[in-house]
Amino acid sequence: MTSTVTPAAATASASAGAGAPRRRRRPRGTWLLLLAPVLAFDAVLFLTPLGKLVAASTHDHAYQRVLKDPLVSRSLLNTFEISALSTLATVVLGYLLAVVIWRRGPLARVILFALVLLPFWTGVLVKNFAWAVLLQDNGLVNTALQGLGVTDAPLALLHDRFAVVLGMVHYLLPYAVFPIFAALAAIDDRLELAARSLGAGEASIFRRIILPLTVPGVSAAGLLVFIISTGFFITPVVLGGPGDMMIANQIDFYARQLTDFAGASALALLLTVIVSVLVAIYQRILRAGGEYEAG
Amino acid sequence: MRPARPRHVSSLIASVPVFVFLVVPTLIVLPVAFTGSRYITFPPQQLSTEAVTGFFRDQAWMSALSASLQAAGVAVVIAVLLGGTAAVALHGRTFPGKAAITGLLLAPMIVPAVVLALAFYQFFISVGMVGTVLPIGLAHAVLAVPYAFLTVRASLAGLNPALVRSASSLGAGAFSVMRFVYLPVIRPGLVAGALFAFSVSIDETVIALFLQSPNATTLPVKMFTDIQYNLTPKIAVSSAMLVTVATLGLLVQVCFTIRRRSVARLLPLTAPEQTG
Repeated sequence: MTSTVTPAAATASASAGAGAPRRRRRPRGTWLLLLAPVLAFDAVLFLTPLGKLVAASTHDHAYQRVLKDPLVSRSLLNTFEISALSTLATVVLGYLLAVVIWRRGPLARVILFALVLLPFWTGVLVKNFAWAVLLQDNGLVNTALQGLGVTDAPLALLHDRFAVVLGMVHYLLPYAVFPIFAALAAIDDRLELAARSLGAGEASIFRRIILPLTVPGVSAAGLLVFIISTGFFITPVVLGGPGDMMIANQIDFYARQLTDFAGASALALLLTVIVSVLVAIYQRILRAGGEYEAG
Repeated sequence: MRPARPRHVSSLIASVPVFVFLVVPTLIVLPVAFTGSRYITFPPQQLSTEAVTGFFRDQAWMSALSASLQAAGVAVVIAVLLGGTAAVALHGRTFPGKAAITGLLLAPMIVPAVVLALAFYQFFISVGMVGTVLPIGLAHAVLAVPYAFLTVRASLAGLNPALVRSASSLGAGAFSVMRFVYLPVIRPGLVAGALFAFSVSIDETVIALFLQSPNATTLPVKMFTDIQYNLTPKIAVSSAMLVTVATLGLLVQVCFTIRRRSVARLLPLTAPEQTG
């Protein structure tokens, strides 16, 4: 937590108040009164809907049913493959960006961070739309490929797994840059200076000092990116084909196409459990690293 | 700071395509919004403001814009009020169960959007709240409260709780403490929280898709539906508006970061939306 009362400060203020003739202390219950609205709000609009979801999933042997559905196993496999591939690419590219930002001076850092943050503030639909425009048959990418003579006819770049992974890496990249940057920023400058003065070259400094020290940051980044990947819904629809449906799309299919709410709820809980386990591991890594608080 | 270090030109050069990859697709929607033809080409063949004026004359797009703004308004007001009061209530206090309460307050951030969408869908049908923007706004408020809570909590980090007790012991009532001790400190946190809440709501698609009705179709939902049929310049106009909002949010964030000289403090808060 951010701050705690120091015992000394607490006694000081208590004794200061004791001697005062007119004590109008802050009523004891004020903070409970301040906390009550948000707790009531979350109880009604967050916990109750989730409770209903859990209840719905217990009907009609939903779990047995969805786990036997070949479409579900297919979408689970897709989710794992697409997420793993996107995570790998995102972490590699994110590491490069983080290192470059870390090597710059304060002003350049702010500018480069702003470049990373702009897509961060932009919603997924804007980005997916942009990729659809770039990758369509008469889009910039195909025009460039034809101009370079790589291909005669436009390539079908849209509505396949390549487009989904591309769109996801683009969306996820900022999420990888920040934890890796935090890990780099925590490295003691003197380690590098010492290594250099002992004759180490750039490559061996990177391999033997920087890379090992950023392993916790990289694993945190990878896990965070993987967690976010597993919940993707919009990108597989906009940029993917029928064979690229992920688990979130399967939940949507059960709920809005089959109107099988028990099955949809069971799948949703399955996804929630998977994500919660990954989040628990993520927070453990962060606590071990001690650098970057999850919030 | 780092005098003896080489400039690392090779990694800088290698990173240029990655930065282009990161930034350019977000920005191309701006010229595309000014495409003259009915179907999108990039780069545009001829420039015109036809799509922009067409967008603002289009009944369906205007109703989507209005639905989005209404939902965002509900989300911002609730998130700032509830997130702000929660952060003040928990500031400087230790009690058993604090971790659990904080966990509950932050929990909406980690539940996948599609799970929340399904839960809200069933919940709002069961209580008979369908066909308006209000359920979308309330659902977005659930998502946005953690962001406002975190930004206000971050702004309180520098406030010594003993200051509050001093004010009380000098005779300040609960209202005065709020007005003169807490409010000046948390004001930047409230502004940032409002900004995050707005950004979360205006970009959120999955929940709004599940809760949509003919009278309550938000901008991203309309875009999502239209993209699956045709890439039209009006989608680009809508995207350009969202990019403009994003840029404003970014500028405010950069100003905050520069003023506080701390990139680290805003790091955990840099994710206005987490579902793709």
